[in-house]
Amino acid sequence: MATSIHLDTVRKEFRTLGNTHVAVDDLSLDIPEGSFTTFVGPSGCGKTTTLRMLAGLETPTSGTVSFGDEDVTDLPPQERNVSMVFQSIALYPHMSVRENIGYGLKVHGVPKAERDERIDEAAAVLQIEEQLEKMPAELSGGQQQRVALGGAFVQDPDVLLLDEPMSDLDAKLKSDLRVEIQRLHQELDTTVVYVTHDQTEAMTMSDHVVLLRDGELAQVDPPKQLFDYPNSEYVAQFIGMPSTNVVDCAVEAGDGGTALVGPGFELSLPAGIDAPTAGRVRLGIRPQYLDVGSDGACRLSVDVEVVETLGTESVVHGRLEDGTSFDVVSDAVDDAVAGDRLDVSFDLANAFVFGEDGETILFGSERAGERSSPAGAGGVTP
Amino acid sequence: MSTALKSRLAAAGSALRERDVDGTTLLLAACFVPMLAFFVVVWVIPIVYALGMSLFASPVRSPEFVGLGNYAELLGNGAFWGFLWNSVVYAVATTGLSLVIGLGLALVINQRIRGGDALRTLMIFPYLLPTLVVIFMWKFILDPNIGILNQFLVDAGLIDKPIAFFSTLEFAMPAVVVTSVWKFASFAFFILLARLQAIDPDLYERARVEGATTWQAFRDITFPHLRGAILIILLVRGIWMFNKFDIIYLSTRGGPLQQTTTLPIRVYQLAFSEVNFGMATALAGVMFFLLAGVAVVYFRAFAPETEVA
Amino acid sequence: MATSTGRGLVSHDTQKRLQRIAVYLTALLISVFTIVPVYVMVVIAIQSPATTFAGGRVNLLPTEPSLRNFLVLLGSTDTVRYFVNSLVVTLGSTVLSTTIAVAAGYGLTRFDFTGKSLAARAVLFSYMFSPIVLAIPLYVVFSTLGLLNSHFALTLALTAISAPFCIWLMWQYFQTVPIALEESAWVRGASRWRTVRDVVLPVARPGYISAAIFAFAVAWNDFTMARVVMSRDEMYTITVGASLFLDRVNIGWGETMAVSLLISIPPFLIALFLQRYLLQGFSVGGLE
Repeated sequence: MATSIHLDTVRKEFRTLGNTHVAVDDLSLDIPEGSFTTFVGPSGCGKTTTLRMLAGLETPTSGTVSFGDEDVTDLPPQERNVSMVFQSIALYPHMSVRENIGYGLKVHGVPKAERDERIDEAAAVLQIEEQLEKMPAELSGGQQQRVALGGAFVQDPDVLLLDEPMSDLDAKLKSDLRVEIQRLHQELDTTVVYVTHDQTEAMTMSDHVVLLRDGELAQVDPPKQLFDYPNSEYVAQFIGMPSTNVVDCAVEAGDGGTALVGPGFELSLPAGIDAPTAGRVRLGIRPQYLDVGSDGACRLSVDVEVVETLGTESVVHGRLEDGTSFDVVSDAVDDAVAGDRLDVSFDLANAFVFGEDGETILFGSERAGERSSPAGAGGVTP
Repeated sequence: MSTALKSRLAAAGSALRERDVDGTTLLLAACFVPMLAFFVVVWVIPIVYALGMSLFASPVRSPEFVGLGNYAELLGNGAFWGFLWNSVVYAVATTGLSLVIGLGLALVINQRIRGGDALRTLMIFPYLLPTLVVIFMWKFILDPNIGILNQFLVDAGLIDKPIAFFSTLEFAMPAVVVTSVWKFASFAFFILLARLQAIDPDLYERARVEGATTWQAFRDITFPHLRGAILIILLVRGIWMFNKFDIIYLSTRGGPLQQTTTLPIRVYQLAFSEVNFGMATALAGVMFFLLAGVAVVYFRAFAPETEVA
Repeated sequence: MATSTGRGLVSHDTQKRLQRIAVYLTALLISVFTIVPVYVMVVIAIQSPATTFAGGRVNLLPTEPSLRNFLVLLGSTDTVRYFVNSLVVTLGSTVLSTTIAVAAGYGLTRFDFTGKSLAARAVLFSYMFSPIVLAIPLYVVFSTLGLLNSHFALTLALTAISAPFCIWLMWQYFQTVPIALEESAWVRGASRWRTVRDVVLPVARPGYISAAIFAFAVAWNDFTMARVVMSRDEMYTITVGASLFLDRVNIGWGETMAVSLLISIPPFLIALFLQRYLLQGFSVGGLE
């Protein structure tokens, strides 16, 4: 039966010969039962370490881990009702597929008949019935990963952990397996925690996304929230492909009101916004929200360097007049060439304003912080 | 073996930290106790005991502490240096020749000639056959009365009388070396062949396209790839040959007239022919320190321990 | 085929042909050098001395194979007893070395402690050790304990020289076994011990077979340790016992070659049936 997961100021330090590396820095997190939560972030951000602490393969230096009401912090992996799928797949090479899937059941003393029944069921769900009597070495990467998923499925765990299970697979397999995993989630009554560095996976599969940075929580929200309301520059740039454009601006107060002045453009802030009136800020605008032409409130010119045609739209990689790199995604730029000067525009409503500390000040014309943390995600956003 | 002992103590004393999984103290013990017990009982204790014994004259019958007297007597005796020289000659000659033959054959097999596979399988024989068998074979071949080599040489008119190779002063060491090379060239062969076959053939293709001769290709592509293996073979097999006892003992017992007596043979003689355990353990001690010195060089140069730790 | 840019005195073609000849010549020479002694041994073993040495010369073409040499061997020597001794100590030290090596290799790989580098060097150092230099101290200790001329003592001595490399082999081998395999079993409820039994040992099989082969070869081949530890005839291993044959008046070359054949059988069988494990040892060890 699925349980909720609660991390309370969990800290993990690794000590080697005089150096102490803090992998997870006082992380607190609530994961609702039955949800599909993804930990995402660049290498070294602590996502795998946190996952391993959920599995019991690492013990926190301090803090507690709870499944529902039960404190499992010091419980070894054998005694937690979790299943885990590893990045390296980790199939036992000397056991057949059937034995691989059924190993956990065998350890728990499930009689053979029932084992076989459950293995057959798992194999049917994952479409690997033909492979049941084969050895792992005879299978392709995708099939092997399905076997690993089968082994996890068959345990009927409270918590299902997946550690970058698709890193070693090609793009087509990845998209197939993404569907499989989501189907599994629906079939099983379990809480899924998924770790990846690929934000596309995170955004497409999850109920909630936990973005980590250097062992700390950057933001936890459903994917759409993360996309539309990043609470820091880090989040805005990590989520979304290509990355959000970020430009340095100065805040100038004038007769007509406050304006953000950037390289080659000026954006007036409407009256009544709770915005800074002086200093420097950084403006973020997603490449997808730029319109070709001069209709929007803020106009600027981009020197085109590279154009990638994707069929339905194109990505223009270019630079602003001060050298800041700037990308544009649009279906109206198909005939742009390197060396062109492209005029684009956008509206404040689609932009983010970040303070010098990286925190978001404005979402469009909304002041950050006025939005309450959405209920259900339960994350503590620092 | 004090270094081994120190490492054991260091391991036990320092905080033994392993991966954060419970209930493994028993496993830990099961892993390390056998090895540690074994090393202490079979290596450390005997060696320490023997080193201690080397400080006594006639330690078995009437022990008399002489400090480094045995060592002084050993090293002061001119014969010692002769034995050392024999050891060096034997080690260098055997290793050198083994390397040359092994390398030559590896290069040949690498050319993928017809019968190459058969030849490679053939080379397993010397590796397989027990040393005693190799000795018997060569003793027969080189026998003065019915050995086929003598038979051949006499028939070909190269010599008048058969030569008793193993008992003739000039030929004893060469005979022993040839016997040893027969057995050990195959080691060098297999190691070098493995390295050779790991070289990307595209490198040679490119060299051909750029106009290099066979010699230049060997010098600039093949040799650099083999350099590491050659050095290791020279050093490790060199040490091994320096320490070899059975081949020489079985073929000549160290004779004739100590002509083929190397340090290992001498140790045996001191212990069992002359029953002088003080001197025997002293010589063993000398060899121990010699080996330790070479080992230090080896570790500095190659750092082989990094493969596991 | 186009000639090269005219380097050297001869054309590319001739150069290639000469090289080809040199290569085949070398191969031929080395083949002869390698085969002849083995052939000689086999021929002399399977013919009675009367046939081999007829006419005062050595006749190397097998005309009348016979079992005479083997029968004499079994009849007038203690060959069988020597073989039994060899088997006992060889099997004993093989089992001991392999067990120690598997346990140590696993522990050294999985557990962290300071001084690992030193431990590695210690293992390698003992591997480079001269057997005779260890044999003398062992003799002294065994003598003091009254263990000379016992199977037990020789088994220990043989383990002493084979264990270091076996430990090194298994240590290297376990590096290639991902801990994720064990973690996967833990998460599914298997205790650490159970995981060792169900996962670690089966996966380590190629490794410990290689180690066992090495230990077997070292022990079977050994002369030094056996010569030092055993002084009574009935305890001799086959290597020591046979080495004394040539000194005896009633044992000739025929019987000597016959016993040589017999001694070669176990290693030969190993090479025949367990070849791929041999090569594993080479690629891992690189030293031996």
